[in-house]
Amino acid sequence: MARAQKPKQSRRPQAKSLKQNNLRGFAKRQSLKSQRSSKYSESSDVYEYQPENVRRSKVKLQLEKDELDGARRDISGSEDEDDGPKRNGLRPRLVGENDDEGGLGSDEDEEIDSDEAFDESDEERFAGFNFSTKTKSVAKRKPQKRSLQSQNASASEGEDSAADDEEEGDPEDFIDVLDMIDGKGPAESADEGEHTQKEERPSASKARVEGDDVPHLEDEDEDMHDEEDEGISSDESEEDESHISPMDDAISASGDEDDDVGTSLHDLQSFITNLDAGQKRKAPDDEAAPTTETGEARRQKRRMLKERTEAGEENEFAPHRGATKLNLDDLLNPLASSSSNLLSLKKSAKILTSISAKNQTLSAPLPQRTQERLDREAAYQQTKEEVDKWSATMKKIKEAEHLSFPLQAQPAGRTSNLELAAKFKPTTELESAVDRLLKSAKMREEDIAQTESLKMNHLSVEEVSARRAELAKMRELMFRAEAKAKRVAKIKSKTYRRIKKKEKAKIAAKLGEGSDDEDMNEETRMKHEVERARERATLKHKNTGKWAKAMRARGDLDEDQRRDISEMLSRGEKLRRRIQGIGSGDESEEGEDDTEDDEEGAADRIKASAFEELAQLDKGSEGEEDSGRKGKSIFEMKFMKDAIARDQQRAKQMADDFVREMGESNHEDDEDDELTGGRIEESSGATIERVGGRVTYRPGAQQSQLRTVNSLASDTSSITLRSNDLPSDVARSVTPSATSPIPEKLGIATEAPNPWLAPRQDPAKAVPKKHEIAVSKDSASVEKSKNKLRKKAQKHEEEQSKARNDAAVDISMSNVMTLGDNSSAGPSKPKTRSQSGNQRDDGDDDSDVHSEVEEQERLLDRKGKGKANGVKAFEQRDLVARAFAGDNVVRDFAEAKRREMQEDAPKEVDTTLPGWGSWGGTGTRKAQPKPHLIKKVAGVDPTTRADYKKAHVIISEKRDKKAAKYMVKDLPYPYTSKAQFERSMDIPIGTEWNTRVGFQRGTLPKIVTKPGTVINPLEKLL
Amino acid sequence: MVKISVLQHAPSTHLPARPGDPTPTSRNLDPLMHPFARARERTRALNAVKMERIFAKPFIAALEGHVDAVETMARKPGTLNVVASGSWDGGMIVHDISLRRHILRVDEAHKGKISGVCFADEDRLLTCGVDRNVKLWDTREVDENGAGPSDVRKPLNVFPGKSAFNSIDHHRTDPIFATASNIVQIWDETKSAPISNLSFPTSIETISAIKFNLSESSVLASIGSDRTFTLYDIRTGKAERRIVMQMRSNALSWSPTFPTTILLASEDHNLYTFDIRSLKTPSQIYKAHVAAVMSCDWSPTGHQFVSGGWDRTVRIWQEGRGTAPEVYHTKRMQRVTSTLFTSDAKYVLSGSDDGNIRIWKARAHEKLGILDSRERAAIEYRESLKQKWKTDAQVNKISRSDFLSLFASVYIVADRQLSSLSRTRHIPKPVHKAGQLKRTMLEAQRVKEERRRKHTRAGESKPTAEKRKVVIAEQS
Repeated sequence: MARAQKPKQSRRPQAKSLKQNNLRGFAKRQSLKSQRSSKYSESSDVYEYQPENVRRSKVKLQLEKDELDGARRDISGSEDEDDGPKRNGLRPRLVGENDDEGGLGSDEDEEIDSDEAFDESDEERFAGFNFSTKTKSVAKRKPQKRSLQSQNASASEGEDSAADDEEEGDPEDFIDVLDMIDGKGPAESADEGEHTQKEERPSASKARVEGDDVPHLEDEDEDMHDEEDEGISSDESEEDESHISPMDDAISASGDEDDDVGTSLHDLQSFITNLDAGQKRKAPDDEAAPTTETGEARRQKRRMLKERTEAGEENEFAPHRGATKLNLDDLLNPLASSSSNLLSLKKSAKILTSISAKNQTLSAPLPQRTQERLDREAAYQQTKEEVDKWSATMKKIKEAEHLSFPLQAQPAGRTSNLELAAKFKPTTELESAVDRLLKSAKMREEDIAQTESLKMNHLSVEEVSARRAELAKMRELMFRAEAKAKRVAKIKSKTYRRIKKKEKAKIAAKLGEGSDDEDMNEETRMKHEVERARERATLKHKNTGKWAKAMRARGDLDEDQRRDISEMLSRGEKLRRRIQGIGSGDESEEGEDDTEDDEEGAADRIKASAFEELAQLDKGSEGEEDSGRKGKSIFEMKFMKDAIARDQQRAKQMADDFVREMGESNHEDDEDDELTGGRIEESSGATIERVGGRVTYRPGAQQSQLRTVNSLASDTSSITLRSNDLPSDVARSVTPSATSPIPEKLGIATEAPNPWLAPRQDPAKAVPKKHEIAVSKDSASVEKSKNKLRKKAQKHEEEQSKARNDAAVDISMSNVMTLGDNSSAGPSKPKTRSQSGNQRDDGDDDSDVHSEVEEQERLLDRKGKGKANGVKAFEQRDLVARAFAGDNVVRDFAEAKRREMQEDAPKEVDTTLPGWGSWGGTGTRKAQPKPHLIKKVAGVDPTTRADYKKAHVIISEKRDKKAAKYMVKDLPYPYTSKAQFERSMDIPIGTEWNTRVGFQRGTLPKIVTKPGTVINPLEKLL
Repeated sequence: MVKISVLQHAPSTHLPARPGDPTPTSRNLDPLMHPFARARERTRALNAVKMERIFAKPFIAALEGHVDAVETMARKPGTLNVVASGSWDGGMIVHDISLRRHILRVDEAHKGKISGVCFADEDRLLTCGVDRNVKLWDTREVDENGAGPSDVRKPLNVFPGKSAFNSIDHHRTDPIFATASNIVQIWDETKSAPISNLSFPTSIETISAIKFNLSESSVLASIGSDRTFTLYDIRTGKAERRIVMQMRSNALSWSPTFPTTILLASEDHNLYTFDIRSLKTPSQIYKAHVAAVMSCDWSPTGHQFVSGGWDRTVRIWQEGRGTAPEVYHTKRMQRVTSTLFTSDAKYVLSGSDDGNIRIWKARAHEKLGILDSRERAAIEYRESLKQKWKTDAQVNKISRSDFLSLFASVYIVADRQLSSLSRTRHIPKPVHKAGQLKRTMLEAQRVKEERRRKHTRAGESKPTAEKRKVVIAEQS
């Protein structure tokens, strides 16, 4: 309401036009009214008035809009920018000054107008209140607003709302206040909103109204004062208005007399009371109702309300009244029976009620431009958010190293089995044949259903249901089984798989027992054969397979791999044993366990069996020979016989060797320790020496076999670990007693002394023996060479020890000091030697080069001949000095540097050619050098050289043109450090320096597009 | 038994397995066999750039048919070869660029200039003109009316408007299109009147071009003769944001792979990419044209774009690299009014004032036709070598495309030096001269600014970044 009035107050012309509008509307309504019967004239009157009230109170937004429209029609939006508070600030002035009815000189005719209007409106209102006492509750809203407005005029909006709340909060108060304001309200409305109506109202029911005025006058007055007290307290600041008010009163009083004489007395009374209350109290009254006539009307109406409410007739136009407020429901209830669209009406009404329940004044809408700007801002934010959803994708694209367009390639659709089955049409002969068969048997998908239904026809209902149930059950089971199978198939656990396999094997075994033996035996045998063959093929029992090698190369092993290796070893062991004929009879695991339990016994057994076998071989060969003589064949021929004889001899020899070896192996157990402690050379015939940190290898047979357990550990530091050692090492560590029947004395478990598996002799024992044995013709060469080597090695060792002694003495500096004093040198020598030895020990501890070879050398040193070496050392030194005599390195270097600097230094070169450009002959003076012939070479100043004041370096100042090509002035852009850039340039990308895949990866372009492929823009995939 | 070891000669190791296959090459893996890796690769890189320059022949063909300047072009979505073009005399032609023939030709599609063409869907084409009409055409050989290729075509539909249209663009999926006149109007193909009008309240000037975003297809952008760029959304039905720039833009294009990026071809010889999430500054400025840029179009990969300018050159830019584009020009090509990438990102089309549409390779030295796998590997190797050795002075000197623009700000007066170096690539003399002039002017401006700054109180006027100068105001 307050807002609605604003534009009107500000612009008079508007008001006028509105007035005219209203006028027109009223005329229409009048005409309608006249058409109705006179009997209902009053009610129709009410009808006419009520919407007005309702409109004022509840549908104020609409009204306000209308008014705004009116306003806009005339005046451009110059005032649109006004804000709420500003308007509030303006309002008081507007109410006081610009009101049409305020009549403060500024608009005389307006005032008159209002005066005239008052008459009409007065009676009109009375008429309204006469009939519907309930309208009071409707009207109640209006007064509230009035009061609001009046307060607005004086105070800020906050107060308004406070007042508002107050009013609403307490029903008792509410009514009181209402009563009072009600009086004021109509008057105001006459000023502001409804002046037009007043003007137009017919003066028909005037007389009746006046009669009702009198009785309630006094109590009303009191009420009014109360109200004013509340209202005015805040109004005191507004002085001019309060000044104006008495004048208004006076004027209005004079006007009042014209209208009705009967009320003049009351008027007078009220006037007097007003005076009594004081100017300030009156101020709001005047403000709100500039004329006392309106005050009069107020009172009159009040009276009427009190009276008429009781006797009112109840219908939808005049609903029952009570202490409670009038609700929209009350108005809508009568419609319940009639209208079908009541619901929608109620819905729309609900909004109204909710609004009316709370804040009755809506803040003015923002100016259109501001509003639109805000809308745009919001819309932009929305779009931004929407678009921002792409940011992750864009980031990904931006950071991608390689992009292949189109990015959103069409996903290749996967065809399901059903799809295929549905589409299937037999094309080949076979397919069509199968199809025909199926067709004839009626086993095709569609046929099955048919046959099913056909069969169903003959069955009773129960049977059918039973069958169905069974089918359903089957289907269910199948489904479950399938689901379970799927689930099981997904399990990745190895242990689970193993357990499963075992179970399966058990079941298979059971089944095998159940079925006929022969057949299964055949099958199982075949299976075993295949398994064996595969094993042989895969070399799973040996550590020479690819996998085993890889494992060996791999150094650190995890649990599984270790287990695998041990498994492999044990398998190999098993096989070996089987060959030896121990486990062959019974392959069961129990047998295996047994063999594991008593290793030594097993070893004996192995030996025994081996001997037996040999004996058999001998026999066999003899027998064969015998039998061979009889037959006439190619074997009878001489060269064949020779060959066979040779073979046999060789075999025999081997057997002999073996027997000897086996027989003496027990004795060698004791020797072993010594061997390992001593030099390797002794046992192996090969030499591994260390001379000054360098390892020298001399020829030696079968080094890998020669390595003993103890030497292994010590050798790791000096000699790179042989890859062969590793698995055996590991095997030993993991399964110390793993199925190894061979005693540990042999060192390497895998290299078992099985003559069949390892036909080579174990040199650890064989060599010394062979040494004694007269070397045979066949196997001689190796042995011979070994012998030779051994001799050579011994000799070498001696020489070495001598040399070492020399070196040891040479190193000790103390001996040099005691030069020439033989007597003192003698005793001091051992000490120094030990010192030096200690020193060396320390050094060895620190460094990782530590070998027993060296240690041996040292031992030898200690044992050495103990001759005095001082004199020798001196000689050595002298020799060195002599050798480098006249070798002045430092001086030469300084000289070279000086020369370099001189060369680079700036200089002047005289390029005059003698005899050119000068006179010759006798008596000529030597001409001055011509300046243009003196060439200046801008070299490098010695002080600016890079090596200036660096005595021991020469830094060349010459520019290397060839290298310059590969230099860059500054670090190129994407790189952040020199090292980075250099690294990137270091790696060539061509095929010569890369693998095929590396090359392909290295040269893959960033963006790849396929020719002839449409690249569509990115799409939102939902 | 005597074992005989034979020197084996397996043909499978050195002969192709099948007739068509390449001969297998063996390679010694020993690094000692391949010394001087760096020197060899550098030489190869040098050869690669030289080869690039030798084989850089981008021009493929010119499509004739238009009588007047080619104002606008549009490619048919989902095809490689169909391109429609409209000219100043009102003629409209649908080309098959692979066969170089006309699929459809309408000589008087509109009265006056055709200002915009775009494909509606499969076979229907929308054109708009200054005769205040939008027309819908059927581009099939024989259209709905039964008119064959030689008959005079009638439009399927005509959408009359109130003022001359300047641009048209179709929604990517929906049967909606937008036109630009003095306001932006959204039309439904089935309705004869626009379904909504979009305009920024205070904008009263002509809108010169309009484009739908390709991925976020409800977002719409326009540029106007009032130096503005405006963003719309047809979901909210509002003009959402507007920026006013120093100079007006002549064309715009949305990036197909980066949906927030838009490219503007400006009258101030530059191109700008903006991120629509922050319109305060452009994300990149592309400087090389020496006259107003009249048209631009993104490559479908979104990593390149093409621009055509008043300076009679077509330039192909790398996204994010603000200088040194590839420059295409011919003697007879006049001002380039429209440019287009084909949808396989391999070719570029340019329509110019002389009424021809020219087909260019997007990469000037690219070999056309089917490539052997080894050849492809070699090409890829060369490319990566060039990339790796681009820091090398010699390689760089040969490969750098536009030396002038690259060093324009570094060298100031040494004009002779510049011209001698810029011979690495031939540019038409007028373009070259215009470039020189432009450089001089910019230099003068810079010097003046510097002097002014020197003579003001310290800290009073600070140099502003180039990017900050572009946008004058951002309005919401």
